[in-house]
Amino acid sequence: MSQAPRLLAAVFSFLLAAFLVAPLVAAQSIHLPPHEKIVLKNGLTVLLLQKRGVPLVAVSALVKSGAAADPASQEGLASITSSLLRKGTKTRSAQQFAADLDFIGGSFEADVTPDYTLIRSEFLTKDLAKGLELFSDALLRPTFPQAEANKVLAQSLDGVKAAKDEPRAVLGIYFNGYLFGNAPYGRPSDGDELSLKRIQRDAVLKFYESNYTPNNAVLAIAGEFDSAELRKRLEDTFGSWPSHPTTAAAISPAAPAKGKRLLLIDKPDATQTYFAIGNLGTAANDPDRVAIRVVNTIFGGRFTSELNEALRVESGYTYGAGSFFDSRKVPGPFEISSFTKNETTVPAIDLALQVLDNLHKNGLTPGQLDSAKAYIKGQYSPSIETAGQLARRIALDEFYGLGDEEVNQLEARIDAVTPEIARRVIEKHFPMDNLVFVLIGKASEIRPAVKKYAGQMDERSINDPGFWPPPSASATK
Amino acid sequence: MKRVWSRSAILAALCVLLCSVPASRAQSQDFPVTTHTLKNGMKVLVQPDHSIPNVALYVFYRIGSRNERPGTTGLSHFFEHMMFNGAKKYGPGELDKAEEANGASNNAYTTRDVTVYQDWFPRSALKLIFDIEADRIRDLTFDPKKIASEREVVASERRLSVDNSNFGVLDEQLWANAFIAHPYQWPVVGWMSDIEHWTMDDLKHHFAMGYSPNNATMVVVGDVSPEEIFQFCEQYIEPIPTHEPPPPVTTLEPGQLGERKLIVHKPAQLPILMVGYHIPQTNNPDFYALNILRTILFQGESSRMYQRLVDKDQLALDVQSEVDPAFDPTLVIITAQPRQDVDPQACEKAIYEELDRLKTTPVTDQELEKAKNNRLVEFYKQMQTINGRANTIGTYEVFMGDYHKLFDAAKNYSAVTKDDVQRVAKQYFGPNNRTVATLLPEQEKAKP
Repeated sequence: MSQAPRLLAAVFSFLLAAFLVAPLVAAQSIHLPPHEKIVLKNGLTVLLLQKRGVPLVAVSALVKSGAAADPASQEGLASITSSLLRKGTKTRSAQQFAADLDFIGGSFEADVTPDYTLIRSEFLTKDLAKGLELFSDALLRPTFPQAEANKVLAQSLDGVKAAKDEPRAVLGIYFNGYLFGNAPYGRPSDGDELSLKRIQRDAVLKFYESNYTPNNAVLAIAGEFDSAELRKRLEDTFGSWPSHPTTAAAISPAAPAKGKRLLLIDKPDATQTYFAIGNLGTAANDPDRVAIRVVNTIFGGRFTSELNEALRVESGYTYGAGSFFDSRKVPGPFEISSFTKNETTVPAIDLALQVLDNLHKNGLTPGQLDSAKAYIKGQYSPSIETAGQLARRIALDEFYGLGDEEVNQLEARIDAVTPEIARRVIEKHFPMDNLVFVLIGKASEIRPAVKKYAGQMDERSINDPGFWPPPSASATK
Repeated sequence: MKRVWSRSAILAALCVLLCSVPASRAQSQDFPVTTHTLKNGMKVLVQPDHSIPNVALYVFYRIGSRNERPGTTGLSHFFEHMMFNGAKKYGPGELDKAEEANGASNNAYTTRDVTVYQDWFPRSALKLIFDIEADRIRDLTFDPKKIASEREVVASERRLSVDNSNFGVLDEQLWANAFIAHPYQWPVVGWMSDIEHWTMDDLKHHFAMGYSPNNATMVVVGDVSPEEIFQFCEQYIEPIPTHEPPPPVTTLEPGQLGERKLIVHKPAQLPILMVGYHIPQTNNPDFYALNILRTILFQGESSRMYQRLVDKDQLALDVQSEVDPAFDPTLVIITAQPRQDVDPQACEKAIYEELDRLKTTPVTDQELEKAKNNRLVEFYKQMQTINGRANTIGTYEVFMGDYHKLFDAAKNYSAVTKDDVQRVAKQYFGPNNRTVATLLPEQEKAKP
């Protein structure tokens, strides 16, 4: 750390010179290609975006219900439902669907997040008719055969076990569970060893019927296509999807954690401790979201961030350290995360807390803000480069009510972030005294030393079924 | 949802490669590449694309862990990290700060064969990137303090990707057993005891050996013109003197004479099975038939292996195959994760039966056509980003010897027949040619 000030000074003087040109070029560069929005008679919102370059079409259906809509003790239901869409329809068996899809080189995947389910497909422009027909077949006419449900449930259960063999795959699940408890955002999106055993086909059918409706979905299509032809196909394909009231309930916001508590997950063979530290973050539509993005870029959102500089570059404690706001309908988690060998667990966590403390104490300089602003702008365009990325972007901005301005006004909003705004954002959105800690590591080696971080300490083995809260506690709810 | 910056992607990242079948619109005129060889021997390939105001710049060095020797394994990868830790003009830490402040980001990866540096940036940062690349190729410095801390970073990377990853451990053991003579036997990240013992002299020797301009290929894709790139090259890169490239790797792996089996015992909830078969290097003509074979066996839920192991017999959670581009004869690796309470040997048996079926019965016309369609979609997916294009064009140029092969792949895949698939199945997928690695869950011992 002793070198940091010298390096910062040297680099910033260089930057001021180089910087005069950069923003000018980038100024009008970030924008969404023009696109149309149609609402079909059944209430389905359709977004169409032409993107030339390669003859591919990407289709995304965003269903406005995700893991947060799972009933208590049925964690994983949204995920299982989405996995079963392609496993049997009114006209195709699972095998037939796979054969037809694979023959055209098409893809079909579903992502379940706490807020929504995103079903994605991609295929060649020449196969548009076939691709759309397959996509709508799975989305509109799944039959959820019992035998396929049994298979998917059993596979998902083993999937949870496989994930527990890779600590970094499950750290976030434990963290969300420990932060949110029994609130909707605390649930494991893919379920756990116990909840998956409880899910029945009837519950899947019910989840589908309640949530997969045109008035609870957004369809986004991007790529190379003939707009007139596609519009006609859409009416034919999705126009008959029957609309009915959805039972999807609003997600109630959780309260931030008070005080300090620590969950230690014992993995006796670990030679490295994986840790996450944080608290409640922000909502996707938070008015401060762009300023938060600028500040977090400096704090833990890029290679030269304060966290990575301290924990990797200066000390060599880790291969990587960072921080992340997972912004959702209502405030999601904010977490700092990294990993380090067992012996340096405490020095690494101390240093991460020190970096957080310094952020509050010192705020940010104009030079740091300028660097982060240039970085976000310079890196943004490749994130909306492909048909698939564009379809997802416009579907999400529609879902969160952000609109095209989210992209088209990004540069202006970034430019508006001042050191004063940054200071306010740090105080308001970056936790300081109230923190939740989750560690996966070799408990016998690290337990005595990590007690100092929190008055309350909880412990489980990674081999114990479920994540957090422990099954006995959640069963009483 | 987590962000961890990698500077090297040893195990993943390369799956992108070498599976493509251009057809009608996938011709070179749709993705025009202009090339130029500098006086110091570095070849530069430029492919303009103005759809976004950004640029992807790759520099491929033909040096990797195959150029190492026992005692300094992992040095190429460690060196890759050191290429970000200070040169004459941009001192320790300054390279990253200068790039990010100008909207640029970077990364790099090391494989058994190559070390590849990547920059992604708005075109306004073009001059800066050339200044940085030239600085570190010409005047890299070695700060003992940085060497010490970076050694710890790489050790952490090894713990992350190997020691605390069951797949990582088993993959390392498989390569170590499948090769007894050739340098592909040691891991790219290096053995931990070697990571702890590299010296400053080892680093200097590696730089002198591998980082000559005539041992590198640059690929630039994005919002640029070939003329301006060649001008920057002339100004920044061409003056860098050339020297001898690394000595050729002459060791040939002797033919395998019988099946090799190994077991790893490790705490785990599920076992893992990996089967490796020796296959030729990337520029061998069987490349195309092998990719068609792999597509028929592994691509999509209608593939033979998925249908058999995952769906019908429900033996495995997942089954897939992987081949990395290679200068020397290498491995195709089949990986399956057996389901809870399934004996890994049951997976093994099913895999062999499916391979044997390919040897005895020709694949169907439909399967062949499906495989070719899949390769076409893969091609377009690689070509739809400036980043994917830079990596793919560079990989064909470096491993096939000519980037045109990327655009000839259509023809080459169309030429693959059912007989070819059957022939390569018989030639490479025999029991004597395989190494079988199994990870068996070990019960946790009660800890004191």
